[in-house]
Amino acid sequence: MSTKPLHSLERRLLKTLRGKKEGSRLEAVAEKAGLSLDQTRRAVEWLKAKELLAAEAENREVIMLDTEGQKAAAEGLPERRLLEQLTKTGGEASLEDLKKRFSGDAQEFSAALGNARKQGWVEITSVDGKPVAKGQAVKKATLEEMFLSKLAREGGVAEADLAQDEKMILKILEKRPGYLKRKEEKTVKISLTSQGSEVAAGLGEEEELDKLTPDILATGKWKGHVLRPIDVEAPAPPIYPGKKHPVQQFIDEVREIFVALGFEEIEGPIIQPSFWNFDTLFIPQDHPAREMQDTFYLADAKSSQIGGGERVVQSIAQVHENGGNTGSRGWGYRWNVERAKETVLRTHTTAVTVKYLADHRPRDARVFSVGRVFRNEKTNFKHLDEFYQIEGIAVGEKVSMRDLMGLLSRFYLKLGLTKVKFWPTFFPYTEPSLQSMVYFENLGKWVELCGMGIFRPEVTLPLGVKNPVLAWGGGLERLVMLRHGITDIRVLYDNSLSWLRGLPLCR
Amino acid sequence: MLALLRRPLSKLNLVETLPYLGLDIEEEAEEYVRVEFNPNRPDFSSEWGIARALNGLLGFETGAPRYQVGRSGVAVKVDESVLDVRPFFVGAVVKNVELDDESIRQLMAMQDDLDNGLGRRRSKVSTGLHNLDAVKPPFTYKAVPPSFEFTPLGQGRKMSMTEVLRDVETGQKFGHILKDFSKYPVIVDREGTVLSFPPVVNGEATRVSTETRNMFIDITATDGKAAEDVLAVLLAALADQGAQLESIEVNYPSSRSVTPNLASTKMNVEQSYINGLLGLNLSQEEFTECLKRSRLGVEQVNETITVEVPRYRSDILHPVDIVEEVEIGYNVVNLTPTFPASTDVGRLSSRLSALDAARKVLIGLGLIEVMNYSLISREMLVSMKGGAELSRELRVENPKSGEHEYLRGSLIASLLSTLSKNIHEEYPQKIFEIGKVFYRGEDGEPREEYRVAVALAHAEANYTEAKSYLASFLKQLLGAECVTVPSDYPVYALGRAAEIQVDSKDTGGIGEIAPAVLDGYSLRVPVSAFELRIEAILKV
Repeated sequence: MSTKPLHSLERRLLKTLRGKKEGSRLEAVAEKAGLSLDQTRRAVEWLKAKELLAAEAENREVIMLDTEGQKAAAEGLPERRLLEQLTKTGGEASLEDLKKRFSGDAQEFSAALGNARKQGWVEITSVDGKPVAKGQAVKKATLEEMFLSKLAREGGVAEADLAQDEKMILKILEKRPGYLKRKEEKTVKISLTSQGSEVAAGLGEEEELDKLTPDILATGKWKGHVLRPIDVEAPAPPIYPGKKHPVQQFIDEVREIFVALGFEEIEGPIIQPSFWNFDTLFIPQDHPAREMQDTFYLADAKSSQIGGGERVVQSIAQVHENGGNTGSRGWGYRWNVERAKETVLRTHTTAVTVKYLADHRPRDARVFSVGRVFRNEKTNFKHLDEFYQIEGIAVGEKVSMRDLMGLLSRFYLKLGLTKVKFWPTFFPYTEPSLQSMVYFENLGKWVELCGMGIFRPEVTLPLGVKNPVLAWGGGLERLVMLRHGITDIRVLYDNSLSWLRGLPLCR
Repeated sequence: MLALLRRPLSKLNLVETLPYLGLDIEEEAEEYVRVEFNPNRPDFSSEWGIARALNGLLGFETGAPRYQVGRSGVAVKVDESVLDVRPFFVGAVVKNVELDDESIRQLMAMQDDLDNGLGRRRSKVSTGLHNLDAVKPPFTYKAVPPSFEFTPLGQGRKMSMTEVLRDVETGQKFGHILKDFSKYPVIVDREGTVLSFPPVVNGEATRVSTETRNMFIDITATDGKAAEDVLAVLLAALADQGAQLESIEVNYPSSRSVTPNLASTKMNVEQSYINGLLGLNLSQEEFTECLKRSRLGVEQVNETITVEVPRYRSDILHPVDIVEEVEIGYNVVNLTPTFPASTDVGRLSSRLSALDAARKVLIGLGLIEVMNYSLISREMLVSMKGGAELSRELRVENPKSGEHEYLRGSLIASLLSTLSKNIHEEYPQKIFEIGKVFYRGEDGEPREEYRVAVALAHAEANYTEAKSYLASFLKQLLGAECVTVPSDYPVYALGRAAEIQVDSKDTGGIGEIAPAVLDGYSLRVPVSAFELRIEAILKV
């Protein structure tokens, strides 16, 4: 006897074949064992290798549905269709009317009528000299119908495998033209070897286990048992993992890129005195961007301290009024410190950047931030009044506009964006200033992204920064939207759990 | 536009070139191209101004344009009475204009742009164009009582100034500029015919039409320099259109001036400064060529370049502005990127890195991160207070969206609102947020700080589960023990809430959300939650 352990598929097959002398068709064995054809073929291969089973290919003749037979199996026999039409009219109809209702030609109709009468379903009488058909609904399927469905279900059947009454029906149906056909088919017949019969005989009746339990494992009760097969194709309940928000996910990617480019991260307050948000950036106090229509001012909150020291405040006052000692003409108006104390929600992260410049007066630095900024706008599918801004600056004695273009190109490259265009634009606090556009291969279009420039001397000199400061910045949400194919910006902060749960991390 | 260029240009070339002047293409139609210009270039407010720059950039006509100004002999008396209201007056006479409907439309659009931009919606400067032949100089600029009557442009009848401010569209729009004054400005001719009621509306008498041959321009202002800036832009465009410019005399009570003054100004710039900022190595010839293409004059080129800046370029304040003119003349298309070497080593902010760590722990605990707005509605804020008065909350002025009136003082309201929007999604819902909250400190100053909050929503959610998450979070993040001391909060149910203590200090609250609060958010499952002062815990 084989000492090799048997897989439960093998055990199942051996038991099915137990006691059988002749070879059995593989398909028939599979059905009897309750296994799929694939599983059966696999087990056959394994058992052959163990010399417990022999398989031989065999050709045999099978009976199959022909075109008319397929039609009848799908739509019903013509006599059945005729009876259905008759019962629809209430069980009585003139032959003429019935013929009209019947779907099929005259020849088919008379054959259907003949068969229906033979079955005893329909009776013809004469009313007012005209032939009239009468009949009641019959639910029970005829032997012919049952045979047709069997062929439709199983595909092909050998005559030898048919029961006695089926053989009789076969003869009748073969008389109908186009109903059945005979075809040569290859099959595999399997049978147990003598060693296989021995093993099969030795297999005990096994109990199926619903599942493994600690007790079953501990007691070894699993030995000689198989697990009850389950529907492995059935859907399983969903599991939702913990996840980063997609915006945060993108922020972190951007932070990683900046760090890789040698930039240090800074962050700072959202609530800012106007001084750091506007005045230090050489934005005159009557500039439209400072109006309440565009900027959120905090109610009942003036900053008692604007920070940065009296010297910086004095320098900013002068640069606005007459340019101070920056070489500028200035704006030529009377600067008011009270307006600089008004508290705003920062309209750009540049407020944090200039404070950093004032505090550190760097000669050489690379610094970035990703932070929330606010604009008093009506929100719609394109605009939010609160969004993230990306900003990077590079300070150095010899840095230039071309370097700035290079830094930004490198930044885009790390985001997978290779085609960049630049053209002149205007920002109040940078000069020269450029706008950039990036080509998105997947969209087949250019999209305007970051703006950039060199901070004006009117911005840097009063803060004590002597070297040029390259700066670029832009909105973050636009990039997140492009990545996820979102067209309504508000979707990003709707926090729809089905969206958050369903969004893949990579694509 | 193409007709204004000195040499032929295809429309395609035009559309490709305009962006390199800093103009954004807004719309490209069969008959026209609509562009948006930046506020630093008011001279781009007419097609004459854009054509002037294009001629330069394309090399068709370069260098600073020169404008001849004759003398008209027209005088304007500025009366004492107007000095408190709108004290500055400049102007000019423009002879032999030829206007068709399109050029009138262009002029009006330019005037609007100048009034809105440099003129700060007419509060600082407003302009008026008049048919000079319809009135008799000299003119008087004075202030009169609001009962003063005249026929405003397009009204067809006499109206008092009070009526104008009340009933005429421009009166309703710009009347606020005069709200602090008891007398209003007016410009009248020798016979009392009204040219204008600045900054509101012109008189009907001097309406400009295609028949107009000679024009008078008035500019009234609260800022003399801005008034001259606007006048220079207008006159350059009219001169390019083919008209002759003539000066006027302005007689103030104690002084006298002649306007316009279109003399260009000089600015000195170091060659090394320009080359350094652009990353180029331009020769003297190239500097001259680039500057001339930007329609600037070049007086001499040594180590220092002396640049002649036309009067209409009021945006040039500093030598750095000349750098940009060189860049535009060089054309940004020709500027190639370089990558600056650096030995800087990048790093993340230690405070944000600490928050990253907190985020990782919460995600590891199976929670989904949500991100909400900092600005919330009053209603949401009140929901958290259990009927108590708002006191330490921060409000923004005039929000365009009423939903965004207050800065959030806690993250719990944001989390409840998220749960409320997801009532049709599968439970359990376990979410967290890391974000800033805002409040007024004890000293009255506004404050902001990062917080971490967690909310658990499902049929079995309770205090104990929330505490398990809290304890695990503190343990995994900091190895800290979690101590909860009974306490009361309006948002949590009585007897199911506690103060969180780390190192014996109050660092937040935990509890089961009170049923009344749940009801307010239409939530039909229990929710337990906690919020932590993460900055205090992380000591960052």
